[in-house]
Amino acid sequence: MSTAETVQVESGSSLWHDAGVRLRKNKMAMLGLIFLVFIAVVALLTPWIAPYSYEAQDLYLGATPPSAEHWLGTDTLGRDQLTRLMYGSRVSLMVGLVATTVALLIGVLWGTTAGYLGGKTDSVMMRIVDVLYALPFAIFIVLLTVIFGRSMLLLFIAIGAVEWLTMARIIRGQVLGLRRQEFVEAAISIGLTRWQIITRHLIPNALGPIIVYTTLTIPSVILLESFLSFLGLGVQAPMSSWGSLISNGVETMEEYPWLLVYPGLTLSITLFSLNFLGDGLRDALDPKASKD
Amino acid sequence: MTKFIFSRVAQAVPVIFIVITLTFFMVRAAPGGPFDADRAAPPEVIAALNAKYNLDAPLYEQFFSYLGDMLHGDLGPSFKYPGRSVNEMIAGGFPVTLELATYAILLAMLIGIPIGIVAALNTNTAKDYLPMSFAMLGICLPSFVLGPMLILIFGIWLEMLPVSGWGQTPGDKILPAITLGSTYAAYIARITRGGMLEILSQDYIRTARAKGLSTPRIVIVHALRGGITPVISFLGPAIAGLIAGSFVVESIFQIPGLGRFYIQAAFNRDYTMVLGTTIFFSVLIVIFNLLADLLLVWLNPRLRGGKS
Repeated sequence: MSTAETVQVESGSSLWHDAGVRLRKNKMAMLGLIFLVFIAVVALLTPWIAPYSYEAQDLYLGATPPSAEHWLGTDTLGRDQLTRLMYGSRVSLMVGLVATTVALLIGVLWGTTAGYLGGKTDSVMMRIVDVLYALPFAIFIVLLTVIFGRSMLLLFIAIGAVEWLTMARIIRGQVLGLRRQEFVEAAISIGLTRWQIITRHLIPNALGPIIVYTTLTIPSVILLESFLSFLGLGVQAPMSSWGSLISNGVETMEEYPWLLVYPGLTLSITLFSLNFLGDGLRDALDPKASKD
Repeated sequence: MTKFIFSRVAQAVPVIFIVITLTFFMVRAAPGGPFDADRAAPPEVIAALNAKYNLDAPLYEQFFSYLGDMLHGDLGPSFKYPGRSVNEMIAGGFPVTLELATYAILLAMLIGIPIGIVAALNTNTAKDYLPMSFAMLGICLPSFVLGPMLILIFGIWLEMLPVSGWGQTPGDKILPAITLGSTYAAYIARITRGGMLEILSQDYIRTARAKGLSTPRIVIVHALRGGITPVISFLGPAIAGLIAGSFVVESIFQIPGLGRFYIQAAFNRDYTMVLGTTIFFSVLIVIFNLLADLLLVWLNPRLRGGKS
């Protein structure tokens, strides 16, 4: 960071304001953010703005390339590709958000508790994380879907349960550094309970890394869901997700390449945006980490 | 060192045991028996089958007999392909998957490490940004998007390379290896860059520079050993990703590997096959993590002793 900026920052701006300034300067991160807002708004409004119903078929029409009536063309059953992509985005983004929230809640609570209590509790809790870390989870999720059938709820829980481990490790590291600091001692001295200290003092102070890691968890969750749906173990027709659309597209890509290209592009650009935004946030919230 | 190896192996054993136990009871808890077919078989047939496969014994007895068989290297019969054992299916499919994964990881290292080094030597110039943007592309293009696109471009439009099979037509191993390897090439490039940056700022590198050594000599003789350690620690966990990736790549390119068998078994609800393969994969991953750890300690003596 340049010295000119440091001087400007001195005039009483908070960490968050400071980070906001740095983030806005990062073009790739801002482009990513704009794309994500766009796709989130589209996904949210899909039931009202989708050009067709997601079940609507037109077998007579069949697969057609992009045209004025069907902007992204139609699939072999004559379903509008844009509509299916919009509904698919809802599923993919929802899986990303819900599973990440699950991961966030478990990971943050586990990590702060272990880090704050320390000692035996800490080593037992982190040993559990170590053991779970060694389990091959992509394989386990495949196994779970085989055993319990292919339900969306299971998908959420299974993916969320996998992704909390790294979160817990990161947060624990943060809390270990924070708990020796004076404001925690002050909080103890005025008689706050452990729970209050954890939720009001430790978690807010570890918020930076939590936000950064959350942004980076969402793409890996979306990827995992698409991976399962691609293999046919995730979302089932007539519902669609990016993974299932790509999988359908692959079957007929020789004749109808647009059925593969558009969902593939949407998924890739979303992953791109989330990763750039995550990197940008890391640079913005923790300038030390990005210094070469 | 011996003590370290011993403690790491001692840690790996319970993990493997947990995997086996979890998998076994999860598969047994699944609704529906293994012999449920579209046309219900007569009850006496089911009873005979249950007796044959020892399914009428109490659950814990089944578990211990499974464990016992497994210690002798026997993963039992396949439920869906009568007369074939899980061992046979793994023996048939795994060499193919192993070959594919080996090509992919070699390709990833051959591409990723040099790119990472070049980027680290030229930070914040075009020679850094360009390859790192490509690396980001590699990370964000999942194999199930990249693979079909490569097929479309090189197989169908340009008609340069075969689009399916394994070892049947010359060149049919190229696209699968690229598809599986690209993500890892990207990660390795990023990790190498980070690792090299850290090493290149050390005093002993400055000394080497002051002595007037050439950049290639500094990189190869002095920096690489330290700069490459993060890549080694990445390789252990990467094996789990490679296996998951092989599910996708093998089904896209119709390669008769273990990953494809596994997904087929998952669809067929071939419980013993799923159980056996899951355990096989898990043990493999635990072993590779162990090897990566040992290699890491061998490369960096400071890690010996001390922290577990």
